[in-house]
Amino acid sequence: MSFTRQFLGILLMNLSGVRQRVAPVLTIIIGVTCAVGVLVSMLAMGAGARRQEMADVRADHATLITTGARYMQSNISRDEVAPILGLPGIQKGTQDEPIVVFESMVPIEGRRRVTGNRIYFPLIGISSTVTQYQPQMHLTGGRMFRPGVHELIASSPCIRQFTGFEIGDRRLIHGSDWIVVGHFEQGQAQQCVVYADVDNIMSTFSRNAYGAVSVRLQSPADFAAFRDAVRANPALQLEAQREGEVAEQGFKELNAILNFVSYFVGTIMAIGATLGAVNSLYTIVDSRRSELATLRAIGFASGAIVVSILVESILWALPGALLGGALAWVFFNGLSASPFGFSFQLAVTPSLVVFGVAWALVMGLIGGLLPALRAARVPVATALRATYAMTLSEGGDSR
Amino acid sequence: MRFLPLIWSGIWRKPGRTNLIFLQVSVAFALFGVLQGLKTGVEHVIGDARADLLLVHSSLNVLDDSLPLGLFEGIKSVPGVKVVAPVELFRAIYQNPSQKLGIVAIRPDEGWLSAFTFTIAPDYVAALRSTRTGTIIREGLAKKYGWKVGDHIPLMTTTKQMNGSTDWAFDVVGTYTDSDVGGGTETLLINYAYFDEARFAGKGTVQHFNVAVSDPKLAVNVADAIDRRFANSANATQTDSLRELAQSQLQAIGDLNFLIRTIVSVVLVALLFATTTMMMQSIRERTPELAVLKTLGFTDRAVFLLVVVEAVAVFVAAAACGLALALLVFPFASKIVPGLSMPFIVVALGLVCAVLVAAISALVPAVQAAKLNIAAALARR
Repeated sequence: MSFTRQFLGILLMNLSGVRQRVAPVLTIIIGVTCAVGVLVSMLAMGAGARRQEMADVRADHATLITTGARYMQSNISRDEVAPILGLPGIQKGTQDEPIVVFESMVPIEGRRRVTGNRIYFPLIGISSTVTQYQPQMHLTGGRMFRPGVHELIASSPCIRQFTGFEIGDRRLIHGSDWIVVGHFEQGQAQQCVVYADVDNIMSTFSRNAYGAVSVRLQSPADFAAFRDAVRANPALQLEAQREGEVAEQGFKELNAILNFVSYFVGTIMAIGATLGAVNSLYTIVDSRRSELATLRAIGFASGAIVVSILVESILWALPGALLGGALAWVFFNGLSASPFGFSFQLAVTPSLVVFGVAWALVMGLIGGLLPALRAARVPVATALRATYAMTLSEGGDSR
Repeated sequence: MRFLPLIWSGIWRKPGRTNLIFLQVSVAFALFGVLQGLKTGVEHVIGDARADLLLVHSSLNVLDDSLPLGLFEGIKSVPGVKVVAPVELFRAIYQNPSQKLGIVAIRPDEGWLSAFTFTIAPDYVAALRSTRTGTIIREGLAKKYGWKVGDHIPLMTTTKQMNGSTDWAFDVVGTYTDSDVGGGTETLLINYAYFDEARFAGKGTVQHFNVAVSDPKLAVNVADAIDRRFANSANATQTDSLRELAQSQLQAIGDLNFLIRTIVSVVLVALLFATTTMMMQSIRERTPELAVLKTLGFTDRAVFLLVVVEAVAVFVAAAACGLALALLVFPFASKIVPGLSMPFIVVALGLVCAVLVAAISALVPAVQAAKLNIAAALARR
């Protein structure tokens, strides 16, 4: 008999005996379900944060920052404004003005609607070209802020999360009243952002340098020329980066923490589940000693036995993995989280589920290894003799 | 006591299985220890922060805005305020950029210490008063760099002096300890009067005022009264207790509470299921032996207890092992949250959980064992 047929025969025999071994099989499945479910849910945080961070990134967006500085922590003086506006490759707006957005950020505090806790969120001074820079940004109520007046517009997450952002509300900022005049939506972002006129913010907070400058390029292909022009201009101590790179950098730290925590917890749980699987498989193999010995006696190869047990172990891990992925999706997909000051929605993506399944298969493989080797080493004579004795005394119940 | 050998041999009847259960329980409780420790530890850090010590910041921005020193009298006149202490902060590096220090400029006036969480010997305070360029360094710092009283410490900063230099130097006059966990551990105290006179820009401003209140129960009212006093002025203030500040700092980890709770329950449920099936399997295999015990005169209750105690012994030992492991790796977690330590209550809670998991998973098999009919069980042999 060929190896494949032997292997399939043993596998079918193993699987058909599942009714007598529900408990150990369930132990494997539940263990794997929990391990995969937790791993996938935790990785879903990172995936959700990344999805949100990257959702509004456009290839034709570029950001200028002071060489070596981080986004929003640059020092771009007013002297640099004119040379920046003259850079090549910048898209022109409706009134033929270059679409360049000057930004300056001040953290201000809000109180959470539910808990009343204090939290900081950015008040961003911004040029009015922002609506052309971000075509996906649109007002959902009220109107745009006017330059020169103490007026704010707030993104819709602000209204959901914090008090004091209804249209007409006054907020005390730096000793003067600012009126909320509009609400806006901004693509995927779940972060509360408040916009006001940039020059107004700078004069209020007596600043004389912008924190960042963003431009919209005519096409993504213009980026190289744009970057070279920035480098070549001696009046600019700046560095051009694609919006994607900036987003990636801002996200790196959070990503590292989330990934570390996910894999730390996921690995420990996987070890636990694997140990459980080993124990269960030992039980299963032990209960099958007589069958396995019989098979060996009539000439089945040990290799076929080993492989069949490994495959069985993987087969029991598989439904656990799928169930774990499904549970993670049901409970956590779309759930809002805001660890470490970021807020985003957890995203249980297909690729995460696939990763979870692969993770489970490895658990199954490792878990099955030792029991499979034991199964292949069952001493034929003793196992059969013991079974024979047992058969005599109890009429066939080999348990 | 005479049952001990019996329990011992029961545990080691199948060493492979016992070892695997032991490992599984250890792993589960190591995870339990780290996660629960993180959650409870953060709660402790917040709970330990003083609610009766207020910090008055500019309401504009707690992080980097300043208040004029002139607010001192105004704050002092608010009813319920006992001591007001101006605090200015700036950063420095010692020798190379990786050795960062925080400099805290204070005024060692009468009673100033009651507005801080520091512990300082009175001699050192007196020495600071009499030495303009003196500094009292945090004990950890003294250990790290081997600094002693009398040492002259040159520091590089980004704060310009009147003479244009950004290098400052201070003379060590003593050491202090700080019971608060926020604000970094590598800090030194200097005289505000000297610093303010010597610096080039920002004269007469402070980063915040520390306020001690006369009645801790009224701290919240005093904080509101201070903010009301300066509302609508150019220097609107934001007054928080140290506890509130710790709370908002650690908010991020608080948001993970739901996740931590979910994981911990999932781990315990998975463990419970695995161990229950293992216990049942084990008791099924031992039916004849248990029947023999009963034949020898062991009561139902004795057999029941035998099974339960065996499980509890293994689980508690394994959980202790896992929690010890968690204690070992916990210092790494405390890098994320300064001042975090594994609360003892978590270890106790872990051991209680271990007993519960053991008792629950041993319950059904133990009942089965107790109800065992000797004749039927022995007949199977």
